[in-house]
Amino acid sequence: MAEALILDSEAVNALAQPTARRVLAERASTILRVAHNKRALIRVPAPVLAEVSRGVRHDSAINHLLNNPGVRVVDLDRVAAQQAGQMLARLKLSSAHAIDAFVVAIALQFDTAVIATGDPDDIRRLAAPFPKIGVFAL
Amino acid sequence: MGQPAAKLSVSVPGELAEAVRKRVGAKGLSGFVARALAHELEREGVGALLSELEEQLGTPSKADLARARKAWPKR
Repeated sequence: MAEALILDSEAVNALAQPTARRVLAERASTILRVAHNKRALIRVPAPVLAEVSRGVRHDSAINHLLNNPGVRVVDLDRVAAQQAGQMLARLKLSSAHAIDAFVVAIALQFDTAVIATGDPDDIRRLAAPFPKIGVFAL
Repeated sequence: MGQPAAKLSVSVPGELAEAVRKRVGAKGLSGFVARALAHELEREGVGALLSELEEQLGTPSKADLARARKAWPKR
């Protein structure tokens, strides 16, 4: 199912407000450029929206990004949700890490994927058993 | 439930048509074309986003691009 760049919450926030988050946005746009050159899909896991949606004024920038036809939201389905639960159980992590686990489980739906994240340590732990997932720290 | 299908009539070079039919067969043609069109529209959207970002932030350096490429797992 192709290659994908998966945007975690920091990547979404940075790309939505590039001048307000310049350093993170530069890094996010660099991995976006590489993904585009590789013809990879750009995807935002739906659970990430719970971390980035914070009210009308803030959300207009987020919605502008999400309305781009090249940036698509992937819904969380039953398989991915249960995979995420198994990842948390394996690492003895609480459900405070559920959104990170959902992000990794959705990345697993692609042939290969890179997760662009501001939280690389937790994502790397969760993704460690899966060589087809790369992590790009913003 | 999916959206109703729309019929499109398009012309493509004969060699391309032959290569696609060989690849997906007559029955798989609509799905293949639909995926290709969707992917192309997505790519145009990302291209436009990158143009906006690079206008505001500048072009990434070669070193930064090399670091980003390293994040990609081998297929």
